Formats: sequence, C-alpha cells, structure tokens
Amino acid sequence: MKRRPENPLLRYQLFGFTLNRWKRQPWLYGAVAIGGGLTYLLVLLLVAFSNASFPVALQLCLFAMCLAAPLMAYHLFSTEYEKQTWEPLALTRLTAWEILWGKWAAALARVALLTLLALPILFINEDLHIDLVSPFRGRFITIFEPTHALYVFVAGVSLLFCWGVLLVSLGMWLSFLLKRTLTTASALYAGQVFALALMPTLYLIFSEGETGSQLIATIRSYREGFAWWGYSLFTAQAILALNPFWAANELNAIYQAWETTSWNRTDPLYPEGLIYLNWGFAQSAIYLALALLFAGLTYRRLKHAWRK
Amino acid sequence: MLDVKGLRKEYGELVAVRDIYFQLHPGDVFGFIGPNGAGKTTTIKMLATLLEPTAGTATLNGIDIVRHPEEVRPLLGYMPDFFGLYEGITVTEYLEFFAAAYRIPRSQRAAIIENVLELTDLTVKKDAYVETLSRGMQQRLCLAKSLVHDPILLLLDEPASGLDPRARIEIKELIRELGAMGKIVLVSSHILPELADFCNKIGIIEKGELLVWGAVDQIIQQLQANRVLAIKPLGAPEPLIQRLEREAHVHGVETRDGTLYVHFAGGLEEQADLLSALIHDGYRIAAFREESLDLEDVFMQITKGEVS
Repeated sequence: MKRRPENPLLRYQLFGFTLNRWKRQPWLYGAVAIGGGLTYLLVLLLVAFSNASFPVALQLCLFAMCLAAPLMAYHLFSTEYEKQTWEPLALTRLTAWEILWGKWAAALARVALLTLLALPILFINEDLHIDLVSPFRGRFITIFEPTHALYVFVAGVSLLFCWGVLLVSLGMWLSFLLKRTLTTASALYAGQVFALALMPTLYLIFSEGETGSQLIATIRSYREGFAWWGYSLFTAQAILALNPFWAANELNAIYQAWETTSWNRTDPLYPEGLIYLNWGFAQSAIYLALALLFAGLTYRRLKHAWRK
Repeated sequence: MLDVKGLRKEYGELVAVRDIYFQLHPGDVFGFIGPNGAGKTTTIKMLATLLEPTAGTATLNGIDIVRHPEEVRPLLGYMPDFFGLYEGITVTEYLEFFAAAYRIPRSQRAAIIENVLELTDLTVKKDAYVETLSRGMQQRLCLAKSLVHDPILLLLDEPASGLDPRARIEIKELIRELGAMGKIVLVSSHILPELADFCNKIGIIEKGELLVWGAVDQIIQQLQANRVLAIKPLGAPEPLIQRLEREAHVHGVETRDGTLYVHFAGGLEEQADLLSALIHDGYRIAAFREESLDLEDVFMQITKGEVS
C-alpha cells in the first residue's frame, strides 16, 4: 500500500508550539490548565446540581462552542499573510489540499475535543436520569433510560459538533478571504449575533410570534418532512429551524412527548412532525454541507491564487 | 540555466515589468539593481512562480515557470524582502518543517539540516527558539530554509535590508559562497556597494524596464566610451584647461579640488598621445590617471531616477 505523504503543517498546527509552550513556561501554562480545569468542573457541578434539562445543558455547550470555535479558525490563513509566512509555504511541495487539510483538520480536531469535553455536561442533567451512585451499589448504569433519550442525546451532540465544524470552516474561508485576523474574528462573532439573535427576532416580529409549529404538526411522513425543509427556505422558517439554540430547545419536545404517554404540547402531533423532519440530524447535515461548501471555496481560492 | 524571455507584468494601465530578457548560468551571482518601485520584487515574484506574468515566460533548466510552476518550485529557493517565521518552534524544528514540506526523506533530513546550519553559521543556535533570534540570524535562518531542498536557483529579495554592518558582511560572504557552489543566485538591492563586492553580473531596472544587463566589467567597458581622465597640474590650471579644450577628443573639462576631470572620447592610444603632448608642451603634471567607473557611476549614468 502506498504510504500517504506526511503533512508537517497538520503536525505544526496541532502540536507545533503548544508542546514548546509547555516546555518553556510550564508554570504559566500549568496554571492556565488548572484554572480551565477548575472552571470546567464548576460548570459540570452547576449542571449536575441545578436540575438543568438536557436542552439547557446543550444550549450551554452551544454557547461555549459559539465562543470557542471562532478562536480555532479566525487566524488559520490570516496569520500566514500578516506574518509573511505564506509565500515560503506556498512554494513548498505541499499541495493545496494538504495545506487546507493541515489547517482544517487541526481546527476540526479541536472542535471534536470541545465536543468530547461537553459529553459529561450533556450526560449529567435531569432528563437523562444518570445515577452516578448506582455503580457503587453494584448496579449497572442505565444511561439512556428511557430509550428515546438516545435520539435526543445523539441529535444534540451531533448539533453541537456540526455547528462547531461549520463555524471553523466559515472561519477558515473568511480568514483566507479577508486576510486580516481581527477582521475575521469580528466578522465571525458579529455574524453569529446577526444569524442567531437578530434574524430570529426579526422573523418572530414579522410572523407575529408564529414559529411554524402548526405546519410541522401536519407532517406525517419523512417525504413530507424532506419537502418541508425545502419549503422552509422560501417561508424563512429556516431562520429558526437552522438556529442551533432553537433546534436544541425543540429537542425537548421530542423527549417530553416520548417520556410521558400523554403529549405535553397543545398539539400532540408536533413532536412526531419533528421526528419526520429528522430534527437535529437534518440541521447537522445542513451544517456539514455548508462546512464542506466553505472548505471547498477555500480550496478553490487556494488552488487558483497560488497555482497549486 | 535560467532563461528569462520577455517577462511582462501589467496591473491595468500600469506596466510594472516591461518585457525583460536575460540569461543566467550556474555559478552566476546576478545583482538586480533598481530604485524602489522599479519592478525588482515583481520580477522576482514572477520568477518564483508566485505571480503570473501578463506575457512572456522564463525557463529554469528548460522547465517553463508559467506552464509548470509545480515542477519549478522544488528547484528554487526564495527569500522575500519581508518575511516571517513560524514562532514557538526551535531552529531545528523550523528547518525540519520545511524539509518535510519539500518531501525530503526522513532518513536524510538530519544530515541536510546539519549541513545547512553549518553553512549559514547557525549551528550554535539550533535549539534556540526562532523568535529569540536577532534580525540577522533570522535572515540567515530564512536563507537556510531556502536551501534545505538544495535548489539550483536562489531568489533573494533585498537580503541585507535592515541588517547591521556585521550581519551584512556575513550575508554577503554567504551569497558569494553559494555562487561558488554552482547555484544561480539572483540578488536584488537598491544599495549598490552591497552588490558590487560579490556579483559577477548585474541588471539595472528602472520603471519596469531592464536598461542594461551583463557582466559587470563589460557594462563598465561599454559605458567607458566617454572616459574621464583626472589630471593634477602643478601650478595654475587655467593654461592647461585652455590647452586641453583645443584637443579633438576632449569634450569638456571640470575642475574639482585642483584636479582637472577631462571628458575624453579617445582610446588608450590617444590618451597616451595626450600625455606625451602635454609634457612636450612643458606642462608640469603631478598625476594623470583614468577615473574608473564603479557600480554607482554605472547606475547614475544609466538611470533617470524614475519609477513605474
């Protein structure tokens, strides 16, 4: 089997100066790591003892992702321009794809790490009924009890990860396009405020508070669900449906509907409609598709700009 | 061999580089001289495959730089005028990064890096962090990076800019050594004494046009058609000036600090005849010599001080 050529850029982006930082200033970075660890533990305890529901825990993690993911991508290409390291890199034998992958994969790995760190927070919440004491009493942990919690949990984690992937991919593209670190970071944060807060608010104002749940409640098959996603682009309902915070909130409806025999919504068919929409997974797929689009755009520019 | 054939770069109405032709052979150290904004960096970037020419091309060992940039890149080393280095890594790690990016087999890397460090006199700094190096050392590290893949053409854009006198001398020695190693070295500068010491060929560019190029001696010889003779008379110079102005080959006489500078159109025979005639006529001559041109004189004679 032919060996894949090594990618020094990926190695540098992943470990490069991180390891050296530890070596050079172990106390400083040790203190930062301990501080970060303690904060994480604090959040974990807060979620565990505040009876936070799964959507709330998920929204907390999404908020952290919204803050952290741009930091993993805003500088990917812009620092190469700002620090004048781009031309020597472009002249090496690394292909456009290897350069892109070296940077993208490093950012994706960090998003994956952040998602992994979010898992305990998502586990320990009131909805999933995890009894941490049980193992010590010789009982098995029944994590996904009741079983439908698995759908909600996997959809939630997938939402979180894919939103992070979208943010880093968009950040990478903007970083190449704008060539300025500060501008890219500002665009990413301002863009999120616009897309996640201003746009939904405007939508709700113009729709007089109608979220589209009545239409969703009429969906009775996956085929209709698929059609709804296309339709939502024209009715602007996608503004809400693609908002990860809204999506996380509506996952609660699915959970609650399955947990109790009686649907707790005025319209009991609404959660079923959400299932036919592949709620959570459909958004994740759209985020991934958009992420691929931005990565593709970056690749195209990279290839053309540097004749790679 | 580097064969530059009608290289041209236009930015809209502006012609940055105007149909440049020159050829360089292994061992040639070519000084690319011109005022700021003359088109030196644009030409170098086109040769480095970083900028696509509007017209014309160049071949390096027969490979077209426009049609096959990816084949030319491994054959050239490029040091930009403003450059940055990846921070947070050591000198050795930095060179390993580029060795890997140029696909140098792992087994050969250590030896190559050792040689390059020795050549650039950076062995003692091999474990130092890149950002802790002085400007001169960073310059040498950038050059070392450009040498790891053993290029046949080196494009050095203002390599001595911003360096202290010692670092300038060291980098000049290094460039001289690279020429002696059989590499084609193209060095740009607007500081003439910098290039005079180690270039065997020069090209003078102004307003995007290569006004003259060739071996330094040949260019000086061409320009010496109107030579300047320095004559220091004993006693009052006026009678000698009047006598000289009657000579057929004399086009003018200037007096500075008691020395007469005679613009003389004749050859060596006529020059010897003039000296004999002056002595025969009873003029007392303390010194009689031909003023030789240096690179600065050549530059001043050829250029008009315009930028494109």
